[in-house]
Amino acid sequence: MATVYSELRRPLIRGEKSTGEVTRDISLPLERAPSLGWWIAFLAAFSALSLGVAAVAYLFSTGVGTWGLNSTVGWAFDITNFVFWIGIGHAGTLISAILFLLRQRWRTSVNRSAEAMTIFAVICAGLFPLIHMGRPWLAFWMFPYPNTRGSLWVNFRSPLVWDFFAIATYFTISVVFWYLGLMPDLATIRDRLKPGLRRTLMNFFCFGWDGSYRTWSHYETVYKLLAGLGTPLVVSVHTIVSWDFATSVIPGWHATIFPPYFVAGAIFSGMAMVLTLMILVRNLMHLEDYITPDHVDKMCKVTLVTSGLVGLAYATEFFTAMYSANRHEQFIFMNRAFGPFGWSYWIMTSCNLLVPQTLWFRRIRSSLGAVFLVSILINVGMWFERFVIIVTSLHRDFLPSSWWSYTPTPIEVATLVGSFGLFFTLFLLFLRLVPVIALSEVKGVLSYGRRLKQGDEA
Amino acid sequence: MADHPSTHGDSGREDEFPELVEPEISPRRSFLRAAGFTFAGGLLAGCSRAPVERAIPFLEKPEAITPGRAYFYASACAGCTAGCGILAKVRDGRPVKLEGNPEHPLSQGRLCAVGQASILGLYDSARLKHPLKQSKPASWEQADREISESLAQISRNRRGIYLVSNTITSPTLRRQIGRFLDRFPGSRHVVYDPLSSSAILDAHLETHGARLLPRYRFHKAEVIAGFDADFLGTWISPVEFAAGYRAGRSPDGPDARFSYHVQFESRLSLTGAKADKRVVIAPHELTAALAHLAAILSAKANHTVKLSGFGPAPVPDALLAGLAERLWEARGKSLVICGSQDVRTQVITNFLNHLLGNYGATIDLDLPSHQRQGADRDAEALLARLKDGRVDALFFHGVNPVYELPGWDAVAQTIQRIALTVSLSGTLDETAELAHYVCPDHHPLESWGDSEAVSGIVTLVQPAIRPLGKTRSVVESLGAWMGESQSTYDQLRACWKQDVFPRQSDVRSFEEFWEQSVQDGFAKVPPARRQVAAFRMAAVGNLAGAARARQQGAYSLALYPKLAMLDGRHAANPWLQELPDPISKITWDNYACLSPAAAAALNVKDGDVIQVEAGNGSGRAVEAPVLVQPGQHDRVVALALGYGRKVTERFARVGPEWLYGKSTVGPNGRVGVRVNHLLTFTEGALEYAGQPVSLRKTAGTRLLAATQSQHTIEEPSRLRAQGIQPRPILRETSFHQSRTGSNPSPAHEEEDLWPPDHRFSKHHWGMAVDLAACTGCSACVIACQVENNIPVVGKDEARRHREMHWIRLDRYYSEEGGFAVAYQPMMCQHCEHASCETVCPALATVHSEEGLNQQIYNRCVGTRYCANNCPYKVRRFNWFDYRREDRLQNMVLNPDIAVRSRGVMEKCSFCIQRIQEAKIEAKRRGVPVADGDIETACQQTCPSNAILFGDLNDPHSALSRLLKSPRRYRVLEELNERPSVHYLALVRNREET
Repeated sequence: MATVYSELRRPLIRGEKSTGEVTRDISLPLERAPSLGWWIAFLAAFSALSLGVAAVAYLFSTGVGTWGLNSTVGWAFDITNFVFWIGIGHAGTLISAILFLLRQRWRTSVNRSAEAMTIFAVICAGLFPLIHMGRPWLAFWMFPYPNTRGSLWVNFRSPLVWDFFAIATYFTISVVFWYLGLMPDLATIRDRLKPGLRRTLMNFFCFGWDGSYRTWSHYETVYKLLAGLGTPLVVSVHTIVSWDFATSVIPGWHATIFPPYFVAGAIFSGMAMVLTLMILVRNLMHLEDYITPDHVDKMCKVTLVTSGLVGLAYATEFFTAMYSANRHEQFIFMNRAFGPFGWSYWIMTSCNLLVPQTLWFRRIRSSLGAVFLVSILINVGMWFERFVIIVTSLHRDFLPSSWWSYTPTPIEVATLVGSFGLFFTLFLLFLRLVPVIALSEVKGVLSYGRRLKQGDEA
Repeated sequence: MADHPSTHGDSGREDEFPELVEPEISPRRSFLRAAGFTFAGGLLAGCSRAPVERAIPFLEKPEAITPGRAYFYASACAGCTAGCGILAKVRDGRPVKLEGNPEHPLSQGRLCAVGQASILGLYDSARLKHPLKQSKPASWEQADREISESLAQISRNRRGIYLVSNTITSPTLRRQIGRFLDRFPGSRHVVYDPLSSSAILDAHLETHGARLLPRYRFHKAEVIAGFDADFLGTWISPVEFAAGYRAGRSPDGPDARFSYHVQFESRLSLTGAKADKRVVIAPHELTAALAHLAAILSAKANHTVKLSGFGPAPVPDALLAGLAERLWEARGKSLVICGSQDVRTQVITNFLNHLLGNYGATIDLDLPSHQRQGADRDAEALLARLKDGRVDALFFHGVNPVYELPGWDAVAQTIQRIALTVSLSGTLDETAELAHYVCPDHHPLESWGDSEAVSGIVTLVQPAIRPLGKTRSVVESLGAWMGESQSTYDQLRACWKQDVFPRQSDVRSFEEFWEQSVQDGFAKVPPARRQVAAFRMAAVGNLAGAARARQQGAYSLALYPKLAMLDGRHAANPWLQELPDPISKITWDNYACLSPAAAAALNVKDGDVIQVEAGNGSGRAVEAPVLVQPGQHDRVVALALGYGRKVTERFARVGPEWLYGKSTVGPNGRVGVRVNHLLTFTEGALEYAGQPVSLRKTAGTRLLAATQSQHTIEEPSRLRAQGIQPRPILRETSFHQSRTGSNPSPAHEEEDLWPPDHRFSKHHWGMAVDLAACTGCSACVIACQVENNIPVVGKDEARRHREMHWIRLDRYYSEEGGFAVAYQPMMCQHCEHASCETVCPALATVHSEEGLNQQIYNRCVGTRYCANNCPYKVRRFNWFDYRREDRLQNMVLNPDIAVRSRGVMEKCSFCIQRIQEAKIEAKRRGVPVADGDIETACQQTCPSNAILFGDLNDPHSALSRLLKSPRRYRVLEELNERPSVHYLALVRNREET
């Protein structure tokens, strides 16, 4: 029977799925042995992770000197990676919280993996402030815990302490939110299992979900509340991360535009990462019916908008420097674009401003290959954005006598590779362990009941 | 093994070690037996006399010695032959720091970088601890017996011996050497200086009939004309000269005076960097420039001496005429000095000073200097005799000719073949290696001695520690070979009683005189006036038209001593190796300096290795990396002496070792390259500059470890925004402007809207740095390193810009209005609104109630945010655990300061340990801390008195008074960090337009 769809509001899930089919489609990968492709991907990711572990072990045993930093450039790859990963995490919260409150129901196909991505990205991000320390074994001194040292506590004036609160809060809320959404799905998985240990375990993890009206009612309420709680975090986390720079005195860091600039950049990079992952997952897990070109199209539009915001921020920074007549500020931006690290600036602008302009074209947006390429380039560009902000501002600041350059060592590169290894290892395990699409939510947006008779179209 | 007890289990172990001898008895019995044996053994050991270990010093406390308190012993510095008076700071029996003796007339309490660093030589683990025979350990008895036998043989054969030494300023040692050599008729004492000034002495022999080095009195000079003499850096007695120079340049106050200084030189020296006017001329043009100047001045003085035939003037006539005018106006208050090793040139210099009436005014011949006594002619003659095999016995003291002099590497075989070669060196240097016997001398801090560096000032050297090895002073060694057993102390006293004591008449009793001298560290005893002849015009007359014939080459060579390395005698000192050269800012290497134009002509850049060849294919060549050095003559290549010494092979393992770390030493296994074989003896003097050389680019490159990469305050023109003032980091004014108070850019002071973060109710420590005084000599850097236990990081880490010095000398070139150089000492500015303090998450850097920005090492977790956020970039991070494996070297560590561990930030603390010490002492005595009680290490050593520490809260403190100067400003004032370190603008004596 031929099905006709409205051109205006096309169904979010294709293939005329029934709820049973959805359950089967999504649960099957968890019940089967992993595919060869998964193993290859996992092996690659795990190798990268191992390399990173080795690099960090060497770092801990020998010292931060194994990185290419110096007296002038005290941060480079470490904090670049930190901000990069924190930014990646942003799309998760945006999709799960803000789009939920805005009733963007297309989010249901991607919210589970976007949230998972957020958690893993925050884990990756959280490692860097720890390992970049000279004495990481004393990292707990950054936490305001009750101790016996009298009045000696953390410095609440330091943005690094604010960072700790922001990231800890963000991580907690993200995990809780993700887990809460997972509960009805875990119950579905449980129901498909034969009685035994696995079923008992699943029952434990879904808190004995019984599917009753009351349960659903509580669930929906809590979910909505958490979405409300999560929404400010989209703005707050990266705002606070940006204060690491904005509250300093270093030209190129000390700018009031940083909070909105960083938030826009974070959503931008997060969306790009979601696109990268979703296109991969769609092909690897055969979820063509669930993650449709329409989803990609919508995310591309968000990406395009945030690219514009980021571009505006770049331009504003230059304008401020020009208008301020501050010699240090003016120099830092001239140096940023045309100095020794100018290449990284041009990588950043081309990847973040020029490349996304292709997304104005429907033809590009509907080509998954093209979108994948664009998303990868945006990821690269956004990593370089943080590198540009950190390194080009530090390497030539006030006193020319202290100007210096920066070259990463292989240890730093291995650490960056390792963070990607950690991220993908966790993500691949996620694909195997929990439903990659929110079953209960996606069932709410199935197209049955919305089918139109032929002729009604007119 | 049949009766192997079955109770003994663990058969697996038996299989593993089949040869294991099983006990014949049950384990219980064996245990008891073993326990009994151990117990009995322990008991017996307890009964025996254990070696006495004095873990706690002074169980019975000697009078006047308190553990934990520092005691100062007056002595003399042996870093070079300038003979500055020092105080050795001794803590719990070990010297930990040297400071200038404030009462001493030469050093006036100051010390240079080399002097500050020389304490590390005491704890050099490569110092010889016993005599050597053919490089194998020997006992003193054996060495003495055999040397005495050889000497007896030589005496029987009526042959003479040669004792080769550098300048010896010690009257006692000179006396002992004289007595020793007198026993062997035909003996010679050959004195040469690796950094020779023998032409000056020879010139005075011609012009004044006495071979002596005059004492230059810079403080009396109003106009100074320097010709290739780096008197603020390395020339003869830089601490004394810098202090004198500074005294003549005080731009503040009612009695302000400011000398006018012109420097003619071929390469950029520290002195040239400070000059009011700097003229770049090639080394061979010096004579002509001086001759033309002399011609103008002799016309003014109505002399008839002809000084022609020296070729055309290498500089514009107007320049020479202007200088001549200034010198003439300042007759008797001017000073012309020349570093040339050409006697004719020095004779012209003497003539100039004579014309200007400077002898007896700014140049003292009556009380001459003994700081350079070398006669290069003698060294050259000795080499010839050695080549002919006409030397029977050679003694070396204080010199290392195989390394230092040209041609000596060729006679290495000869040295080993002659009857007796004895080195008195404390370390196994290149010459000592060839000697039959090495009879190591004490370190000067271990021994009694004396020094009369300048006539009339005899400094006592007293031991600050017992000898660390079985070494023996040279005085005693020479005595032993004469069959005497007098100790150095007795010899010293005998010499003083005989020679020094009678020269004065104030004190009657010798004991009283001795006690006073030991306490003061020196005695002022005028010598019997030596009759110096009047100036002989004939000496000048002989010169007419006698310019030295010179080969012309594409480039001429300038071999120069680097400030820290001098002639290489301290090459084993890692502090000096790591001290950035104040001109090039390069550590751990020497290099071929080329002007930017010369580098462009050769198509080379920094680090490209070039070959410098002297003497047209004679094989005298050296390969060194290029350094493009602005301010240098376009036809001159400059190379530093003192590098490539064998003792630097130890630095292969300096600094942290890690995966991508590189060795500090070069491909030759040493630090830098030796260039001494390029030296020549020309007309009886060691020739350092002017030799023609050819340059050739090679394929090699070598990374140079510079600590500064941007050399101007101006941004690169490509990145410079239009219409923007240069950064107000370093302010400069002219003497005229500072006198009239028309300071072009007054200090930026704005009212704060907010109440101050910190109220300093008691003290508010602050500092003033006078850029007009600072010469860039870097003594402060080493003083700070010694005082504050700052680690050595090695070349690779320095190259990565991770040097740890708490105070650095920012060196800026400027091209505007002629090439100029300026120095700015930069250390923690102790800001009132410190941006480092707010960002530390762990409160590891906080403000004290006395205005100090304090770094709490224990609390630091190492986020490095503070360093990033410091506008002055003065914070230093411990990237690794730096090597402290040399236990002996660790003895130099200041016990008042922690040694920082890996991962911790550190920076200048304003020498908080000194502040605390002064406060505790004041409290103990129940008086307030007086102004001047506290001197930071950098301030204490500064030869030109450029740094002043004090209390900003006290309106009468010297600091508060000094800061009323219109020259006062703070660096980056617009950031409102409110630093406690103030700067006083640089002053140059510029012509007013």
